[in-house]
Amino acid sequence: MRKNAELLPGTLDMLILKAVSLKPLHGYGVLQRIRQISGDALDIPQGSLYPALYRLEHQDLIAAEWGQSDNNRKAKYYTLTIAGRRRLREETAGWNRLASAIAAALNTTSEEI
Amino acid sequence: MLKRFRSLFRLLRSRQAFEDGMSDELRFHLEELAADLMRSGVPLPEARRRARIELGGMNSIKGECRQSRGLHIVDECLRELRYAARLLRKSPWFTVTALLTLALCLGANLTIFAVIDAVLLRPLPFPNDGRLVTIFNSYPKAGVQRDGSSLTNYYERRGQIPAFSSLAIYRYGTALVGDAGATQREQINWVSPDFFATLERGPVLGRVFAEGETTYKSDGVAILSDTFWRRQLAANPRVVGSQIRVDGVSKTIVGVLPADFRFLSSEAQLYLPLSSGPEQRVPIQRHSGGNSTQMIARLKSGATIEQAQLQLDAQNARLELDDPQAKMMADAGFRSLVVPLHADHVASIRPTLLLLQAGVSALLLIGVVNLANLLLVRANARAKESAVRRALGASAGHILSEILVETSVLTLFGGLLGLIVAAAGIRLISLFGADRLPLGSQIEFDARLALAAVLSALLLGLVLAAPIAWFNSRGSLLLAIQSESRGGTASRSVQRVRHGFIVAQIALAFVLLAGAGLLGLSLDHASRVSPGFNLGHILTGQISLPSQSYPTSSIALAFAERLTEHISSYPGVLAVGLVNNMPFSGRAPKSSATAKGYVRKPGESPRGIYSYGVAGDYFNAMGFFLRAGRFLRAADSRRTERVCVIDEDFARYYWPNQSALGHQLFQGSEEGPDSEAFTVVGVVGRVQQAGLTAEEAQGAVYYPYFFRPDNDMFVVIRSRQPPESLATALRQFVRQINPDLPVSDIRSMDIRISDSLAVRRSPVLLAAIFSVIALLLTAIGTYGVLSYAVAQRRREIGLRMALGAQPQQIRRQFLSLAFRLLACGTVIGVVGASLAGRAMQTVLFHVPGVSLPTLAGTALVIGTVSLLACLLPSHRAARISPLEALNN
Repeated sequence: MRKNAELLPGTLDMLILKAVSLKPLHGYGVLQRIRQISGDALDIPQGSLYPALYRLEHQDLIAAEWGQSDNNRKAKYYTLTIAGRRRLREETAGWNRLASAIAAALNTTSEEI
Repeated sequence: MLKRFRSLFRLLRSRQAFEDGMSDELRFHLEELAADLMRSGVPLPEARRRARIELGGMNSIKGECRQSRGLHIVDECLRELRYAARLLRKSPWFTVTALLTLALCLGANLTIFAVIDAVLLRPLPFPNDGRLVTIFNSYPKAGVQRDGSSLTNYYERRGQIPAFSSLAIYRYGTALVGDAGATQREQINWVSPDFFATLERGPVLGRVFAEGETTYKSDGVAILSDTFWRRQLAANPRVVGSQIRVDGVSKTIVGVLPADFRFLSSEAQLYLPLSSGPEQRVPIQRHSGGNSTQMIARLKSGATIEQAQLQLDAQNARLELDDPQAKMMADAGFRSLVVPLHADHVASIRPTLLLLQAGVSALLLIGVVNLANLLLVRANARAKESAVRRALGASAGHILSEILVETSVLTLFGGLLGLIVAAAGIRLISLFGADRLPLGSQIEFDARLALAAVLSALLLGLVLAAPIAWFNSRGSLLLAIQSESRGGTASRSVQRVRHGFIVAQIALAFVLLAGAGLLGLSLDHASRVSPGFNLGHILTGQISLPSQSYPTSSIALAFAERLTEHISSYPGVLAVGLVNNMPFSGRAPKSSATAKGYVRKPGESPRGIYSYGVAGDYFNAMGFFLRAGRFLRAADSRRTERVCVIDEDFARYYWPNQSALGHQLFQGSEEGPDSEAFTVVGVVGRVQQAGLTAEEAQGAVYYPYFFRPDNDMFVVIRSRQPPESLATALRQFVRQINPDLPVSDIRSMDIRISDSLAVRRSPVLLAAIFSVIALLLTAIGTYGVLSYAVAQRRREIGLRMALGAQPQQIRRQFLSLAFRLLACGTVIGVVGASLAGRAMQTVLFHVPGVSLPTLAGTALVIGTVSLLACLLPSHRAARISPLEALNN
């Protein structure tokens, strides 16, 4: 079995929103956090992280602010906006519905038809 | 959506900050990543290398980030703007020509648009101005097209015409305003109390006039204009209730009008009640309007002009039943007409304005065609470049947007320059006397004009891009690349379009030039009309005697006699006279006179006659021509025997084939007692009372001033020295007799006549300017296209010459092409000019719409100019050296 699962299209935004919902993070922090909360199962192509962050900021789902990093360096921190929180809730609910439906479909045995 | 735009806008402002922030952020990422790798034991250089690999291409990430923010569109636009600017800089001659063309064409259009907007388009400054109408009496068969409305009309119609919600009457004039010793002549508008209600606008301070304030005893009230209030009373907010002297009588100020209150073209500073006695409101005064009193009304919502007209006709018919004058008025074709106020006010100038608009539109069209042609030539020259770029993957949309950006940059700059030209044009038009046009003083350079400029520039950008887009979309890439490399000629269809454009240009310029020629010819004819008297050193001025100080005709006559006596003693003065109404004074009211013993034939209409009261030596001062008998003398006013002088039209009509001397006539429309009959003692030549181009005269009678007194009078002085030198003397003489009496409108007769032609002269000047620009553009266009054709066929010509063709043959070939284009353009131009001439008929004077000399002259000018423009390129073609051409 492969170590890292492929990221499904459209799920990156959701994961970023989830990551910054826990705590304000800079870009690199988002990357680490996603790795961490997925138990290293999800690997994000780093090249697409920043365009996604900029897109979400442009849509006002996350807000950015310059701040100090742990090692005292200037870094851009992202937080979730109210609109972002709503979007995360919707996406989570939608994802759960989809996941359980697919799981149910995949677990179907021939007797159940 | 709005949010995104706002975010985009914020970013645009801090574009540099955005770029810096993005770089910082990505650098931070790299460093953090490298630090993590170092912690797991990778050495620094290797860690940095791996971090860069893991993150990926920096530039592509930045590009994607920008795209996420919607910045790529801006970037692309900027890039294309830079590209367009570079292209335009690379060919300065083309750019300058194009910008000048656009500036002149758009500038001319904007100037005329400013006039049309102010005069025809902008609504009058009253609520629902479309419902305002004016009503006037017309007696067409008596030669009187409009005669205002009478007070009787007003009192009879008020509240009686259901289609009107309100009806008012007013009269323009002047009065002496201010305390004795410091008076000034001001424009006055005497109005009925419902005047402001009809307009639905009234004073901002105080109140309107009350219904009871319309008798001579109760009319001591006044409403001020905003200008007067600020100028004379320092905008004192407590002015209501204070007193102001008008013609020596004290009036109470009851109101102040708002700053933007403007009734048509009136410059009235004061509004006073239009008062009248009961004797002025009786049926016998029904037809005494005389154009000095005018009626306005407001249509009820839902009511139409047609309904109002029907109701008015019905009322007139009812009133005529017991009107002793009814028969005569019916013979004169009497009718009261209801017409829209705004349209009626500008009716005289409308055809001229529309004509000028048509002229500038043609000019713009010439300019656009010219530019389209020049752009096509450029596109052709760049065909290979664009074909190569398309072959390398540039999308058709991309190339199209490039074209659009380029033409729009060009037209927008041209539009801005056009605005500058328009500002100058508006100044020029006001020098021509535009403020004497109806509503002309409201012509201004405003935001509407700027908006019109930008919109038309953008539209032009689109229009100009179309032919190039068409050119680029045509044919296969391969062909374009090959054809150029082989040095072949442009495809036939493109050439045909270019030639078609030249033909169109020549035809349009032809129409424009022919139209200007017709107008010029009309002006020439008009200025050749004899005014009917000997010109020379004649000074004229206007005096209005306040009726309070000059209540009777003998007092007014005494003033006139003293004044003429004073002035005649001045050195160099040859003759002095006074008259109630002078030719070229801008007024031409008609009244009636009845020849004694003359019985009108059935159906014969009564005639509108100019009636004058003259004092002093008026006839010699004006230089009238005596046909028979003698002129009136100053003493005729003092004699008990009543005498008069008539003009030749009157004499010929009433006493044909016999001498009019000794015959008698009466003032007014009926015969009176013999004691009131005037004996004709002289016949004079006809004079052009209403201007050089007026042709409605039906006769004139001159009475001694005493028998036809008028408080408005004109002084006429004939002198040896230039008339202007007498102006100060005239003022002083009047002041010596009455220190409070100003003389207004002092002008020499020459100037008066010349001013009366301003309405014709300004369009001619404008049309001439437009035509010169059009000719220039046509010359540029023809030259450009022909020299391009020569340049393009260098190799072909070179080859032919190498094979033995003579230079003359080559030259002839190109000249014959020019001739063919010119011939086509001229033929279409003649047709267009004939149609345009027919449409212009109303503004022409003694010139047929299709005038052969004009057409021939136009053809000559256009032919000369375009052939001159062709000579140089043809000559160049003939001098091409075969060796050079083939080597290239």
